Amino acid sequence: MATNDGLKRIVLMKKMISVLLSIALVLGLSSCTKKEVSNDKVLNLAVSAKIKGMDPIYANDLYSSNEVARVYEGLLEYHYLKRPYTLVPNLAESMPKVSEDGLNYTFKLKQGVTFHDDKAFPDSKGRELTAEDFVYSIKRLADPKLQALGWWLLDGKIKGLNEWRDKYADQPKVDYTEEVEGLKAVDRYTLQFKLAKPFPQFLYSLAMPFTFAVAKEVVEQYGKEFINHPVGTGPFTLSEFKQTNKIEYTKNPSFRKKVFPSESSPEFKHMLTDAGKTLPLVDKIIVNILVESQPRWLNFQKGRIDYIGIPKDNFDSAVIPGKGITDDLKAKGINLTVTPSLDVTYTAFNHDNKLFSNEKLRQAMSAAFDPVSSNKLFYNGTALPAQSVVPPGIAGHIEGYKNPFFGQNIELAKKLLAEAGFPEGKGLPEITYDCPSSTISRQIGEFFKQQMSKIGVRIKVVQNPWPELQKKIKNRTVMLYGIAWGADYPDAENFLQLLYGPNKSPGANGSGYNNEEFNQLYKTAAVLQDSPQRTALYEKMNRIVAEKVPWIFGVHRQSYVLFHSWVKNYINADFNAGQAQYLNIDVAAKKEASKKL
Amino acid sequence: MNIWVYVLRRLLYVVPILLGVCLIIFVLFNVVAGDPTHLLLGKHATARQMAELRHELGLDRPWFYQYFDLVKSAFTFDFGRSWSTKQTISTMISEGALPSLTLTIPGFVITTILSVSLSLLVSFYRGSFFDKSSVIFCVGLMSISSLAYILFGQWFFAYYMDWFEISGYDSGFPNFIPYIQLPVLIWVILSIGPDLRFYRTVMLDEVYQDYVRTARSKGLNEKVILFKHVLKNAMIPIVTYVVIQIPFLILGALLIESFFGIPGLGGITLNAINSSDFPVIRAMTILSAVAYILFSVLTDVLYTVVDPRVRLK
Amino acid sequence: MENAQAVTTNINKPREEKSKSLWRHAFETIMKDKMAVVSILIFLSYSAIALLTTFDLVAGDWAKEVGGSYTAPSAEHWFGTDIFGRSVMAKTLKGTQVAMSIGLFTALISGFIGVLLGAIAGFYGGKVDEVIVWFYTTFSSIPSIMLLVAITFILGKGLLAVYLALGFTSWVSLCRLIRGEVMRHKDREYVHAATAIGGNDFRKLFKHILPNVLHIVIINFSLQFQVAIKSEVILSYLGLGVQGRPSWGTMIDDAKLELARGVWWQLAAATLAMFVIVLSLNILGDALRDALDPKLKGK
Repeated sequence: MATNDGLKRIVLMKKMISVLLSIALVLGLSSCTKKEVSNDKVLNLAVSAKIKGMDPIYANDLYSSNEVARVYEGLLEYHYLKRPYTLVPNLAESMPKVSEDGLNYTFKLKQGVTFHDDKAFPDSKGRELTAEDFVYSIKRLADPKLQALGWWLLDGKIKGLNEWRDKYADQPKVDYTEEVEGLKAVDRYTLQFKLAKPFPQFLYSLAMPFTFAVAKEVVEQYGKEFINHPVGTGPFTLSEFKQTNKIEYTKNPSFRKKVFPSESSPEFKHMLTDAGKTLPLVDKIIVNILVESQPRWLNFQKGRIDYIGIPKDNFDSAVIPGKGITDDLKAKGINLTVTPSLDVTYTAFNHDNKLFSNEKLRQAMSAAFDPVSSNKLFYNGTALPAQSVVPPGIAGHIEGYKNPFFGQNIELAKKLLAEAGFPEGKGLPEITYDCPSSTISRQIGEFFKQQMSKIGVRIKVVQNPWPELQKKIKNRTVMLYGIAWGADYPDAENFLQLLYGPNKSPGANGSGYNNEEFNQLYKTAAVLQDSPQRTALYEKMNRIVAEKVPWIFGVHRQSYVLFHSWVKNYINADFNAGQAQYLNIDVAAKKEASKKL
Repeated sequence: MNIWVYVLRRLLYVVPILLGVCLIIFVLFNVVAGDPTHLLLGKHATARQMAELRHELGLDRPWFYQYFDLVKSAFTFDFGRSWSTKQTISTMISEGALPSLTLTIPGFVITTILSVSLSLLVSFYRGSFFDKSSVIFCVGLMSISSLAYILFGQWFFAYYMDWFEISGYDSGFPNFIPYIQLPVLIWVILSIGPDLRFYRTVMLDEVYQDYVRTARSKGLNEKVILFKHVLKNAMIPIVTYVVIQIPFLILGALLIESFFGIPGLGGITLNAINSSDFPVIRAMTILSAVAYILFSVLTDVLYTVVDPRVRLK
Repeated sequence: MENAQAVTTNINKPREEKSKSLWRHAFETIMKDKMAVVSILIFLSYSAIALLTTFDLVAGDWAKEVGGSYTAPSAEHWFGTDIFGRSVMAKTLKGTQVAMSIGLFTALISGFIGVLLGAIAGFYGGKVDEVIVWFYTTFSSIPSIMLLVAITFILGKGLLAVYLALGFTSWVSLCRLIRGEVMRHKDREYVHAATAIGGNDFRKLFKHILPNVLHIVIINFSLQFQVAIKSEVILSYLGLGVQGRPSWGTMIDDAKLELARGVWWQLAAATLAMFVIVLSLNILGDALRDALDPKLKGK
């Protein structure tokens, strides 16, 4: 009986195990097949954040504005192959005529440019773009009912536009037919802007996605769902935007004749092989949204993603092993490009907090901070220590300037701390340091804490979700916070405004720094066209903030991007709206290289 | 008591629960979330813009109106629009539910089949080395953090060994299958421990019942007892346990979806948490609470249908 | 040690003959189970490490740089170093303190709420019971991750917030069990007897009924303990976890950037440390249940 029972048990067990095994087989190892490389020219991209829809007026983050710029276009764009950044006409026929006083801008539009086909148009055929479309699109940006995120760009800049906005703020319906003095379509192809006061950065704003052209019919057809129905004039089309993790664009078949530039800065000469070719150069773009850095990095190494970089607005991203490029990567044909970004990282003091009106304390903390180690740990030693606020590459940066309170000097820091009234940190409360919630931000916070402990300043690191941090900054409940700023356009004004007193929070000046001398200089410089006089003012301001230490400066990052051998014409740019049309894929090379991955 | 009266009574009880859920959500999120304007208006917001927006979102109305709206949304499923993506939340949910289910249903079915059969097996060999070691093995599996499984699994099995897709998703059958294999595997590993322990207890409860002893004394062999009697009688707790887990399947898997790029509700929830997108967090909370409540009613009703004694109590 | 424990149980329940034999029996059963004994030893040594690190006797210098950034494990540093060149071993040890305190306080908080509400509901019945049942049914309908997020938003960041958030979200199952058990017990003879000699409600509940449901509390305690340790990882991942000191959660969270560059030791150390204690607590929980739950005692 016993043996019989035992035998049965074994048989039963065997049966069960075979059931379990077959389940495992069905689930698992059924697909070890590699994907075939497609014969089409497909660009595979990865972005690290959810896209917030495809409406230009809401595209205030880097990721959304890049997506918007694949479909929509503006009057101007940055020359793809020229540095320093140079504006060139895009939908405009030529650069505008500017009046003597710098207040009137007249644009001629390109003729024969059409919107993508969409059911909003008669016969679903995209109609021609006219000057009225820009009038409409820019009014949308000002529409008080729409709460556009790009309104700050033109707030107070165009004659009559603020009045128009205010007039309709309390009325049930906004009247777009009412004429605004500073924004007129003179004829079908002529557009005229009148500014309320000189605004030297005005042209840059016309290269930003906020002011890109949308069609009234489409906006009215889809209403609130317009955000999911991008219909522009650009090189690529997207039939419907969905909240998935994959966005697929196809080449716009009716794209106007636009060609690859035939002039370039010396460093991009090798890209001129594509000069004169019709844009866009690829047939399709697939954008993969991968929030986590590990899958992004692994997918890149497998060749499923063409290039991968560290987005300037986001600490939470892939870190590349080693300093340069490893032999392993080299063998796979992967290339590295390193370019300085127009940005600055910093730790801001909340100047509403009485403690930080003590200038010596601020200087002491700055002198205790070790930018070299920070650079090594978080930027692989490739970033440039930030002596002050304006990054290299734009007017206002002072070449070779050395901030006296920057660069670790523990002796000096201790001395300053004692002079501030807190010898060895005695009498100082614990100072909270707020940062975003990503892993790298936390590590940077821990590093800061470690640095400050060297002179006896106690720091407590607090992580916050991004909006929560913004809220705390605006409510003035922070003491110190670590953050970064990336340029909206290549002008030092965009950085200096962060410290201009009247811009105090809820404006862009989150630290609430207010220095009369600085404010006066800023006011003077803000209305000046680019000139040696303006540059001198910028430099003076730059020096003031370096010495007064309203922030502890960090680094100007260099963004480094890895790209596969089959990606052609890749340039890492701060303002890369519309870049995808210039990129090319070498399908034969991709097939070859994929074997090694 | 008539079964329909019972069902009706059970359904009526849903109302105070739902009101309570809405109250907790309202207190937690409307009080804490407070002001969405910074999130919505970005870094250049002015005070005036904020006031306009607050008015537009109805945040300047008395609290009971806002509470009423919340309750209403639990019935209409009209949750308004997301603060961060500006999409209609009901659309986000309906589009995200399917990808989540393609991950969770296979995971759930496989786990249930595996753990029920394994639990039968171990209760058959109760007390033996095999019993102990398989229980410890499964408990060991659940003693490792899910994040560790995901990080390691993705790096080792998908990247290094190249057995699975690293991440991504294609909608439509059978396109999604290659993408869910590894996520499903991780799901199974994570949930098999608790399930096996539960089912084993259920089976053992039955094994020690009098009728089993009687059957055994009548000379029936163990296999017959196990499959015919024990399994049949254990079906009630098994089915209850299965049904009550269903609402959680809709919610998807937070970390797994985020790491594997599956555009499901778990990823949406995680994104909402990271961006303080309170309407979405609120909507997901209400959705899962409603699902949970309805399914627990369903379980109770099923239970009474199967076992009429319960109703009499 | 063994004697001492047996004595305490005797002192605690001198009047309950039935319960005494249950506890003694349970104690003997557990002591016979080698796995359970090992688990107890592991639990005790983790507690010891946690205590020692609290007073900086062990790993007090975890914040010190001991080598280069990301050096691989060696004889000197068993688990290598992290991004700042700190010893991963020291961080793991220091992390024990966070993990054990989270386990302990969470289990205490959830135990307290669960027992209190469960006992009141079960004992008084009627309207009180209905309100409490309504409350916990409502509460349990909300996914705990959402509650965690909301609570950490309200309480801010830090260890206290983590204790409270995890404690507040994990008491329902215990509350249900206690309510049921108290209901079962309150009509027993010995409770009626207590009423006859003039015991008040409080006395009846705490002196007579609670000791009889204590085993449920203990089993639940060991399970809550390990669930809390695991939940800390998820909180850290969401950026809602412990701030400014090492925890296993933040170490695993770090690994999501490190693993792709081949730095596996931080993940390995934290996972291993967690694995051992969570597994032990699970085994201990099972052993306790087998020993204390009368339903399964028949075997």
